[in-house]
This record gives sequence, structure tokens and C-alpha cells, in this order.
Amino acid sequence: MYTKEEIFKAVSTVKDPEVGFNLVEMGLIYDGICNEEGDVKVIMTLSTKACPLHQMIVQWVEEAVLRELPNAQNAEAEVVWEPAWNITMADEHVMKALSGN
Amino acid sequence: MVQVSQDFAPPFKLIAPYFIIGAIFFLLSTFIPLSINLENLHYMDSSILAWTHILLLGFVMMIIFGAMAQLIPVTLEVGHFSVEFYYIIWPLLLIGTILMSLGFFFYSALLPYGGTIVLISMFIFLAEVFLTIKKVEKFNNVIKSLIVSNVFLFLGVIVGIVLALTYAGAISADITLLLKAHVFAVVAGYICITLMALSLVLLPMFGLSHNFSQKPMNLAVIIMTIAVSLVFLSGVFNLASLDYLGYILSMISLGLFIYEVYLIYKTRARKEIDIYVKSLFVSFGSLFLAIFLTIAYFITYYQPLILTIGWLMFMGFFAFIISGHIYKIVPFLVWFEKFSPLVGKQKVPMLADMLPDTASKFQFWFSLAGLVLSTLGLLFTSNDLFKAGASFFIIGAIFLFKNLIYMIRYE
Repeated sequence: MYTKEEIFKAVSTVKDPEVGFNLVEMGLIYDGICNEEGDVKVIMTLSTKACPLHQMIVQWVEEAVLRELPNAQNAEAEVVWEPAWNITMADEHVMKALSGN
Repeated sequence: MVQVSQDFAPPFKLIAPYFIIGAIFFLLSTFIPLSINLENLHYMDSSILAWTHILLLGFVMMIIFGAMAQLIPVTLEVGHFSVEFYYIIWPLLLIGTILMSLGFFFYSALLPYGGTIVLISMFIFLAEVFLTIKKVEKFNNVIKSLIVSNVFLFLGVIVGIVLALTYAGAISADITLLLKAHVFAVVAGYICITLMALSLVLLPMFGLSHNFSQKPMNLAVIIMTIAVSLVFLSGVFNLASLDYLGYILSMISLGLFIYEVYLIYKTRARKEIDIYVKSLFVSFGSLFLAIFLTIAYFITYYQPLILTIGWLMFMGFFAFIISGHIYKIVPFLVWFEKFSPLVGKQKVPMLADMLPDTASKFQFWFSLAGLVLSTLGLLFTSNDLFKAGASFFIIGAIFLFKNLIYMIRYE
């Protein structure tokens, strides 16, 4: 079984190509759950519903889990829209960088 | 939210011609003002009509159609009815635009042929859009706006072919009246409403804007729809009394559009002022100035204002909003095609890495200098200023083309 922190660390290898930050520091990853069989589920969102990379990002997250966590058997990323993402969910350094401070 | 499959995204080789041809036509359009004499210029001059069609059909429409190939699945959340249609839209639009331009410049008998080919191209585009929309289950305001804008394109193109036949002497109709209906249906009805609808998707997406009211934009689209309908009916049925109401409503609509853009800008998380944001500043600044000068025209009836307003709309608002989006959309499409399969396997560039930084700044500043000088030239009927501005525009357009090729060939 993997902890939430380990799952987040695995997913942090995936970057948003538009803003250049990884999904975890962007605050787009809401939760990471692993059961005893090694099935990993990532609860995530996107910065916009109109994201043209929607399915690709989901695929990258699932691939990152399987790549970074050797004992993971299955990976599933579920995109949710509640709560809706906003910039305050991002790490402070991301907010500062995006705001130009 | 339906997931947008990778299968919905058209291959880049399908979209690339739209952007390349669009940039070439933009470059061509910047040369034409060098041969124009402002003293005797009228908006019905054949050189103006040729320039308008090279710019609007060859550049604006070509790039909007190309962008739509990619944006329709994202906006409508369904796959294209048949994305292969886009392989025949651009060659027909290219041939039609060339024939129409030659028709306006040299031999008006070519106009119906060019017009018919453009008509076929646009009908194929419209058929694809409407058949794709037929698959949509849930209609939001953006989709409704796109339906309205495409209906206006349909009407505008029909009137356009009647105009082409009239201009060539094949039939007899009142060109002035029909021109009004044609221009309003295509420019205000299709281009402006499409830009409004897409702005509601693209501006928040690139700016990471959230929690802004969409009411001004929804109202803007409704008011513009009424405005275009009034002017169109006036043009087709000779009901001059409807004109002024249509003009006033369209100004109100564009004002609301600018206000919506301001709301999106104010709530954005990304504060960096990159080439995209700078281009939008100039674009919406030009639109604001065009509205202001339209009001000034109805007070003063100062004739040079008509051409100045048209110039600001085309070379300020349309040209800069499109060039700004080229710097966002093209790197994304190239990245998606070349680098997205490599994610997780090797280091891939970020989208910003794919921009030619210095050359894009040159493009922006030369084009801005061109816009300022040429607008002043038109306003004060100064050929020297206008041609100086056009020269700067040519250099800006060369840089735009060069930058486009750089982004497309990025390895």
C-alpha cells in the first residue's frame, strides 16, 4: 500500500506544459488512495473544463503512478469539478511566479 | 463533462496549411496599402474591396477555420462529424480568395467564379459545423453563440454571391444595400460573435481566470444578434429606418464584450504580460477606439473616420487578436503532435520554450508602429503617414510568418 504522500510524489512528475509547474504544486491533485491490492486512485481536477489536454493529462497521471510506484497494480485518475479549482489551491511559489512577484 | 479524446484532435498536417496560408495572405494584404492614394479613396473602391477580401477571407477566415478544426471538439465536447472535410475547405478557400482578389483588381468576370468556390468552401465548413453540433446533447451559451454566428455566415455568404454576380454584371441588384447586409452578416455576425464565443473559452483558459460573471458576454451576443438581424433585414428589404438602431446596438454589444474581457482580465491568476497579452491589449484597445470613433462619426460625419474605423477593426482588433492566439494555439498543436507522446519518457519542452522570443517582440512592435502610423494617416488623410505605417506592417507580417514557420518546425 502506498500513502497519499507517495502517490502525490509520483504524480508530481507530471507537468502542465502551458504553465510549467507540476500538477501537485498547481493544486490540481485532490487526493490519492491505494488499497491493499495495490490499486491506486487519484482524485484530481483541471484548471479549466475546456482543457484540450483533458484526456492526455489523465493518462499521464495514470502512467506516472505505474512508473513511479513499482508495486502499484492499477492506476485510475478521476477528474472532478467540485470543488472547482482556483489559484489559491496552488503552492505559494506557484502563485508568486504566476502573479509575477 | 465529456472527456475530449485524443482522437478528436485533428492531425497537425491538416491544420498547418490554414495557418501558413493565413500568414501569407496577411503578408500580401500589408503590401496593398502601398498602392492606395487616400485623397480619392472610397470604401467601394476595387482596391479596398480586394484588400478586404484578401485580409478577411485569406487571413481572418482561413485562420478561424483552422483554429475551429481544433477548438470545436474542445468547445462542443464532441468529436467532429468528419474532420476530413477540413482537407478540402482550405484549398477551395485559397482558390476562391485568389480568384476574387484578381477579380476585384483586374477582371470582374472572375468574381462569380471565385465567389462560388468560396461559397462551396464555406458551405462545406458550415455543414461540418452543424452536423457536429447535431451530436451535442447539452447546449451552453458558447455553443448557442457559435450556432448563431454560423447562421450569419450562411446568410452573409449567400448575399456575397449575389453581390459577386452583380459586381460582374451578370445580374442587377442594389450593391450598396446588399453590401451593408453582407458586411454586417459576415463581420459582425460571424467574425465578431465567433470571437466573443471563443473569448469566453480561451481568455479564461490562458489567464487562469475564475469566478467572473458571464452575463455581459451573453447579453453582448444577444444584442449583436438583434443588431445584425436589423441591418441585414434593412439591407435585403431596403428598410433604412432599421439601420441606426442596428448600429447603436452593435456598439453596445461590443462595449459589453470589452467589459467582459475586462472582468476576465481582472480575475486572472496569470499576471505575466507576454506577447499574447500584449497583442490582446492592442486588439481590444483598437476595438475600443473603433467604437469611440463610430460615435464621433455620427456626431461629426467626418468622412475619413469610416475608413479609419474599418482599418482599426481589421488591422487592429482582428489582426492582433489572431496573431496573439497564433502564439498560443500553434505551439500547443505542434507540442501535442510532436512532444505529448514523449511525456514521461524523456524531457519535453514547455509551450513557452517554443516561442521565438525576440522575433515575436519584433513582430509585435513593428505591427504596433504600423497600426499607429497608418491609423493617423487615415485619420488625417496623409498618404505619407499611411504608407509609412503600411511599411512597418509589412515588416511585422514578415516576422509573423517567420515566427509561425519557426514554431511549426520546432524540434
